[in-house]
Amino acid sequence: MLWLQLTLTGLQTGALYALTAVGFSLIFGATRVFHFAHGAAFVLAAYVFYWADTAGLGMIPGIVLAALAAMAFGVAMDRLVYAPIQRHEGSFFTVFVASFGIGIVVENVVGMVFGRSFVTIDSTLSQSRELMEGVYVAPLAWIAIACAAVFFAALQLFLRRTHTGMALRALADSPELIRVFGLDPRRLSSIAFALGSALVVPGAVMTALGSGLNPALGHHVMLISLAATIVGGIGSIGGALVAGFVLGLAENLALIAFPSQWSEAVTFAILFLVIILRPAGLFGRATAH
Amino acid sequence: MEAYLLNLGVLVSIYAILAVTLNFIMGYAGIFSLAHAVFFGVGAYVGAQMAMHVSASLFVTIPAAMVVAALLSLALALPALRVRGEYFVAASLGLQMLAITVFSEWKGATGGIGGLVGIPAVRMFGEDIYRPAAFFPLAAAVAVLVLIVTRLLVHSSFGRSLTAIRDSESAAESFGKNIALIKTISVVVSAALAAVAGVLYANYLSFINVESFTLNTSVLVMAMVIIGGTGTALGPVVGAALLLILPGLLSYLWFLPQTEIGAIQQIIYGLGMAVLMIFRPGGLVGRSAGARKRRKRDALKAAAGQSEARKMEGAK
Repeated sequence: MLWLQLTLTGLQTGALYALTAVGFSLIFGATRVFHFAHGAAFVLAAYVFYWADTAGLGMIPGIVLAALAAMAFGVAMDRLVYAPIQRHEGSFFTVFVASFGIGIVVENVVGMVFGRSFVTIDSTLSQSRELMEGVYVAPLAWIAIACAAVFFAALQLFLRRTHTGMALRALADSPELIRVFGLDPRRLSSIAFALGSALVVPGAVMTALGSGLNPALGHHVMLISLAATIVGGIGSIGGALVAGFVLGLAENLALIAFPSQWSEAVTFAILFLVIILRPAGLFGRATAH
Repeated sequence: MEAYLLNLGVLVSIYAILAVTLNFIMGYAGIFSLAHAVFFGVGAYVGAQMAMHVSASLFVTIPAAMVVAALLSLALALPALRVRGEYFVAASLGLQMLAITVFSEWKGATGGIGGLVGIPAVRMFGEDIYRPAAFFPLAAAVAVLVLIVTRLLVHSSFGRSLTAIRDSESAAESFGKNIALIKTISVVVSAALAAVAGVLYANYLSFINVESFTLNTSVLVMAMVIIGGTGTALGPVVGAALLLILPGLLSYLWFLPQTEIGAIQQIIYGLGMAVLMIFRPGGLVGRSAGARKRRKRDALKAAAGQSEARKMEGAK
């Protein structure tokens, strides 16, 4: 029954990775900004939720505050950091370095305010129940998987059925054309950042309730989102979703063959192989150049 | 105070070697690697094992470390030939994360998390060199040597091919440059020279473990290159000195809580990276954004002028 147990925890982990990766992929696909500080948005949202809980504000206000914090951070990054850089140069690497720098700042500021040790929020949702003999699942797992499905469906609906959504998809292909249609690329870019950053919230909240938080988590989250985006194929939001689940499953199923210290290595071995063998990703159309 | 300065001098020399070698591929070949600490680590582990079991002479440890690092660097050259930009950064990240796991799990070679202890000091001219006063001239000399080697390479025809590839791969290819070979050589050279820093580090500290070769080190070295000035001769050295002096300076500021010095230092260099990218992407030593723009505009004008002239000739 070990494999079934690991598949279920893999799906739970995968659901959280998938949504965060979809957020990164949405931002990267629409604006071409390599938003490395996406992991910092995750950490901010998680700690705002944690703070709201310790202040006794309750679950729902906590989630709302976390979402506001993540979105504000994303939009601020776009307006204050990326826009000025893109105005004068905008080479991918300049943007990446600035983003990386801000990621370091957020990690350390959060560490100074909340401490660097692990914190968790106690909740009955994270208590495992016996599903069948030897297989334990916490309610959080079902919530995670349901969240991934609902949020992804809503995002797809938004991107395909609304004017703003269609404009966002067009932004990736041709910012000039967007201007011709009388739309403002800067405003659309901010919308992409707000939406993409909001998608970290389910993962952040459930990590706070489940396995716990520390300020360095942003790094791990970022690496996973990046891996999922590339494995799935840059520009493919569905690809990022599938790849998020694949990485979550791989990390857990690897436990059958390797000791747990190797689980992160498995993720990056997959990433490395995909980049060498199929740079366009599993679902990508474009070439890597 | 003198001991402190000498110790700082040794560390600046070692990190300057790392920054200069990273700058070699970043600034001139356009290969943005987040895996530089891997080769620093490989150099340190190979150097330590050779010193412990074979000979503590630098003429044994350095060549051995360079050969192993050069061979392993082919793992980095492989993605560098296939992809560019964000894809390569991601691939190098993957390599760095894999290496951390190998460094901390392969107990036979690396001593695992605990690391290797009791690494013998460098033996030169029949004497053990371990005191900072004796080690600093050695480390500084090696750093200068590495700087000279990379300078010579950059200014050779090889270096010109390298920058040509960075600026336009297809143009370089149409001039008959063997892109795969040139890129591979640049990665191999950079990794092999970075391993030299690893050997010095292991001999100097006589203790190494995985903590010194993590992603944080790769990022720190990258920050040194960027803050100093990517693609400049002395920028990486300035960056290395600046970032290593910073913690010492901060401890003089009495109003800062001493337990948070590490965090404050990281916040300063994180902010430094972001602010520099916004206002001065060329780094401290590099050209300012305005100068870059002017140069680009002039180059464009010149190119436009040429094509205009050609058109006129065609019309005749």
